[in-house]
Amino acid sequence: MPEYQYIGKPARRVDALEKVLGTAKYIADRKLPGMLHARCLRSEVPHARIVKLDVTPALAVPGVRGVITSEDFFEHGLYGFPVKDKYMLAYQKVRYVGEAIAAVAADTPEAALAGVQAIICELEPLPGVFDMEHALDADAPQVGPDRPDGEHPNFLDKLIVRKGDPLAVWEQSPIKLEERYTVGPQEHAYIEPEGVLAVPTPEGGVVVYAPNQSPFINHGNLALVLNLPHNLVRVIQPPVGGSFGGKDDIIYESSAQVARLALITGKPVRMVFSREESLIVSYKRDAMRMHIWLAADPDGTLRACKFDGLLDSGAYASESSFTAWRASIHAMGAYRYDACHVDITAVYTNNGYCGAFRGFGNTEVCMAIEQAIDEMAYKVGMDPIDFRLKNCLRLGDETVHGQRLTESVGLAECLMAVRRLSDWDRKRAEYTRRDVACNVSTTNDIRRGIGVAALYHGTSLGAEGQDYANATIAIEQDNSIDITSGLTDYGTGSRTVFTLIAAEELGVRPERIHMQRPDTDTAIESGPTVASRSTMLGGNAMRIAAMNLRQTLDYAAADLLGCELHQLIRHGEAYVGPAEEPVPWERVVAHAREMGLALSAHGKWTAPRINWDHHAGRGTPYMAYHFAAQVAEVEVDMGTGNVQVIGFWAAHDLGKMIFPQGAYGQLYGGIAQGLGYALMEQITFVNGYIQETNFESYLIPTAVDVPEIVGTFIEAPFSHGPYGAKNIAEPAMVPTAPAILNAIYHATGRRVRDLPANLERVLLGHDLAKGGSPRACKLGLHIA
Amino acid sequence: MPRFDYVRAGSVAEALRLLAEPGLTSRPLAGGTDVLVYIRHERAPFDRLVDISRVPELKIIERRGNEVVVGGAVTYTEAAESPLLRQVAACLVEACLTVGGPAIRNMGTLGGNVVNAAACADSLPPLTCLDTMVHLRSLAGERTMALSEFIMGPNRTAIRAGELLTHFSFPVPPDGARQVFIKLGRRNAQAISRLSIAAIGRLDGQGRADYVRLSPGAAMPTPRRLTEVEAMLLGQVPTDELLIAAGVRSAEVMIAVTGRRWSTEYKEVAIQALAERVLRRVLVL
Repeated sequence: MPEYQYIGKPARRVDALEKVLGTAKYIADRKLPGMLHARCLRSEVPHARIVKLDVTPALAVPGVRGVITSEDFFEHGLYGFPVKDKYMLAYQKVRYVGEAIAAVAADTPEAALAGVQAIICELEPLPGVFDMEHALDADAPQVGPDRPDGEHPNFLDKLIVRKGDPLAVWEQSPIKLEERYTVGPQEHAYIEPEGVLAVPTPEGGVVVYAPNQSPFINHGNLALVLNLPHNLVRVIQPPVGGSFGGKDDIIYESSAQVARLALITGKPVRMVFSREESLIVSYKRDAMRMHIWLAADPDGTLRACKFDGLLDSGAYASESSFTAWRASIHAMGAYRYDACHVDITAVYTNNGYCGAFRGFGNTEVCMAIEQAIDEMAYKVGMDPIDFRLKNCLRLGDETVHGQRLTESVGLAECLMAVRRLSDWDRKRAEYTRRDVACNVSTTNDIRRGIGVAALYHGTSLGAEGQDYANATIAIEQDNSIDITSGLTDYGTGSRTVFTLIAAEELGVRPERIHMQRPDTDTAIESGPTVASRSTMLGGNAMRIAAMNLRQTLDYAAADLLGCELHQLIRHGEAYVGPAEEPVPWERVVAHAREMGLALSAHGKWTAPRINWDHHAGRGTPYMAYHFAAQVAEVEVDMGTGNVQVIGFWAAHDLGKMIFPQGAYGQLYGGIAQGLGYALMEQITFVNGYIQETNFESYLIPTAVDVPEIVGTFIEAPFSHGPYGAKNIAEPAMVPTAPAILNAIYHATGRRVRDLPANLERVLLGHDLAKGGSPRACKLGLHIA
Repeated sequence: MPRFDYVRAGSVAEALRLLAEPGLTSRPLAGGTDVLVYIRHERAPFDRLVDISRVPELKIIERRGNEVVVGGAVTYTEAAESPLLRQVAACLVEACLTVGGPAIRNMGTLGGNVVNAAACADSLPPLTCLDTMVHLRSLAGERTMALSEFIMGPNRTAIRAGELLTHFSFPVPPDGARQVFIKLGRRNAQAISRLSIAAIGRLDGQGRADYVRLSPGAAMPTPRRLTEVEAMLLGQVPTDELLIAAGVRSAEVMIAVTGRRWSTEYKEVAIQALAERVLRRVLVL
C-alpha cells in the first residue's frame, strides 16, 4: 500500500477552533442593521381547505413590514424533488399540523407574532388519514395530489426487487420464518434549529444565508419560485449545527419565504425556529411496517427472502421515493439468496411529513431484516455470527439484484473483527448458560445479553440520479491555497477531508489550505450533499483539481531546475532536481507566475455508470457498498424493562480512512444516534398532532446513556474511491438498533419487534397508548 | 418573551412584604426550573417574581436536637453535598443526585420541587419516608403541616397567596437505619421519573425489621407512605417470600388509590420489582 503524508494520518479538524471557542456564527448569531424578523402562520389542523386568507389586518399591525402567501410565488411556489408536490406556502389546502400558510416580516419578533395572529385564515377541516395501513383504502380521504394515471391519490410510489419466486421456496422450505416489524418516525434533533437570513441586493436580487445541505438545490428553487435569473440569486452556507439529512426541504422552504419578504421590504429578513416549531414543522424519518418471510435449509443456508414494506411519507413526498428505493435495495440484508422479492410501498397520510434521515431507508429495513436473520439463526441452531458468516456476501458473489461484487467486500472480516473485539464467544456462552439456569424470572433479575447485526450500504446516490462532483483549487498571492467544493460540511468533516486530499496531492502542508464554505457564486454545482457521498465524489473531484494544479507546478519546477519532469522529487514541500538542491515551494510558485501559468485548477469526477430497471427490479444499484458489523452488550432489568447498553463494538469497511478523527467521530456519533433510535426516541402522532414538541418529551441519549465504543476500520479499498475510500457517515448508525435488539433477545428470550424498545415494550412485550391531544402543538406554534 | 417585573429579596421578612404588596400579583422565584419552563408556553400568572434564591435564612441545613432542618431554597446540589444530609438522609441525597443534570441541580431547590408538587417530583418519596413537616410563613404568621397534608394533588398544595415555604424539618432516623432511593427513567440523566421509590429500614438483633418506611413516586396523585406494606414487614424476618409479597402489596395499594390508568399495566409490574428491591437493599444484609 502506498505511503501517504496526510491521508489516514491524524489531523486537526479545520473548523475545530471556531466551534470550541464559540466564534462560529450560526444564523441565530447573525444580525444586520434594520434586519426584520420573520415568522409563519402555521396550520393547527392536520387537513383542511383554505377557505379564506386575508393578510391585510396583519399589515396594519405596528411594526409589520411585509406579509406573503402562496400568491407571492411563481406558480404558487410549487417545488420538490423528485416529486413536486409542496408549496413554499400552502396553496388551497393544508395537509399537516405546522404547515406554513403565510409569512410575516416585522421590526421585532413580537410584532411578527402579532402580525401572524392578526391574519384572517379560515380553514374548513377535512377528514384525515392517520394510519398508513388505511391510506390506500378506496374510501380513504384524499391527501396526495390528483393522480391522472388512475392510481390512488394517496399512493406515492412502489419500489421492487425481483429474483426468482421466494414464496414458492418458502412454502417448500423445512425451516421458515414469518414475522412483522415496525419502526416509528425519528427526529434529527440537530443542535441548531432551522434559521435563514436573506439580504436584498442593489441589483434586485437576493443573497440567502442558509444552513442547507445542498445550496445549489436551494439556489435553483429560489430562482424558480422568485422568478429571478440564476445570477440574481446567491446562496451562502454558514456554519451548520447538524443536519443528519434534516436540512433539505424545510430550509429551502424557509429560504424562499425570507427571500421573498426581503425582496418585498427591501430589508434583510431573518427567520429562526424555536425548538418547538422545529419539532412540529420539520420532516422526520419515515415510519415503516415490514413483513418478512425467510426460508433456510437445516444446515443454515439461507434460501429465500420476501420483504413487504409500507412506508408512511406523511403529507408530502419529500425524498420518500428515494428513501423507499434505498430501502428496497437493502431490505434483504447483505446475504445470498436463491430467490428474493422486495416490495416497498410509500403512501401519503396526514402525519407530519417525512424525508431524508441518516441511513435513508436502510436504517428502517436493517432493524427488521437483521432481527429476522437473528431469529433464523436460532431456528437453525447456529451462532448468530456463524450464521451470518455462512450466508454473507463475499468477493465474487452476485447480489439478489444481479450485481457481481468484484472488489471491496469486507463484511466477513468485519464480522470476525467484532467477534474477536467483543469477546463474543465467551460472553455468548456464559450468558446463554445463565439464561437456561434461571429460566424462572424473578423481578430482581438483571440479565446480560450480547447481539450482533451486519450491514451493507450502497455508496453515494446509486441509481437515484447523475452522480458527479466538482472542485476548484487556486493559489492566492500570499501563497495560501483556496479550495472549494459544491458539497457542504454540515458536521461531517468533509472540509477537513478535502483539505487533506489537496495537501496530499500538492505535497503542501494542510495549514496552507483554506477550504471555503460553499457559495453558489464561487463553488461549482456538485449534486446534493446526501448519501454519505462527500468523501468519494467530492474527494475524487478535489484530488483531480489538485493533480491538475500539481502538474502546472511540476512544469514550473522542471523549468526552474532545468530538468525533466520525471527527475523531480519532493522533499517536504520543496522540489528537488538532479542538482539535489531543494527549492522552496514558494519559489516554484513564483516561477510559475513568471511563466504566465494559471495557478488555479478545476476537477470534476463522475461516478461509473450504473443502471437499475425499476420495472424489472433488477440491475446494478450502486457502484460499491460499505460493509459493517456491530455488536452490542446489554443488561436488562427483568423487573422494570430498563435496558443499559454496557458495551459496544463496531467494525466498518470504509475502503480507506482519510481523516481518522473524522471517521471515528462519525462512527461514535452514528452509534449514539442508533442507540437512541433503538431504545428511547419516539414520535407519537395522535390524529396528526405530534406529541413530542421539545426535548423534555423527545428523549435522545445523554453522555451517561452511551457506553464506551470500540471501533475499528477494515480497509478493503474500492478502486474508484479516492485512495480507495468509500464512506462512513450513514452506515455508522444503521446496524446499531438491531444489534441492541438482538442483545435484548439474548438477555431476555423475548423479541421486541417494534421500535423503540422502551420500558413498556421490553417488560410487557407491547407499548402502552397514552393518548394525546393537540395542546402541545397549539402551544408550541405560539411561543413568543 | 412574557413581560413581568423582578425583585430580589434579602430576607424572609422582605420577601413576605414584597409578596403581599397590594396591586401586584407576586410569586416567589427560587431556582426557576419550573416557572421558566411554564411561562415558555403559558401566559405568566403573575406580574412580578420575588427572587428568594439568595435569602440566607432559606439556605440553612442544620441539626436541631433530634431534628433536621432544611431551608426551602436549598438546591439539589447543596443538599447532595451536605455532610449532615449524607449522614442522616441518604435517600434524599440519592434522590437529589438523580434530578435533571448538573445545571438543573445547581438551580432547582427542594422548596420549589415540593411547592410545584409534580406527582413525579424526585424529592417527594424521600421526604415522605423521612416524615417531613413543611413550615410556612406569611405576614399573618406561621403554619406547620405534614408534607402528605401539604400536597393536595398533582401541582396542588395548601400554600396560600403571600405564603412562603421557609423550611422542612424531619426527625433524625434511628441509628443504623439504611436508606435507599431508586429512580426509573427513560434514560440515565435529564429524565422525568417514570417511577421512583424510597425506603428506610433497620433490623433488630434478631434479624427482624424494627423500622420500615416506604414511599413511591410518580405512582399516586399525592405522596404517601405505604404503611400497609410497612406493617407487613415490621417485626418480621425479611424472607424472600415476604419481600416478594411486599412488592405485590405495594402494587395493590397503588392501584387501590389510582384505579387502572393507561400506565397501570406497566407500573403494576415495575413497582413490585422496585418495592421488593429497595426493601431488600435496606433490610437484607
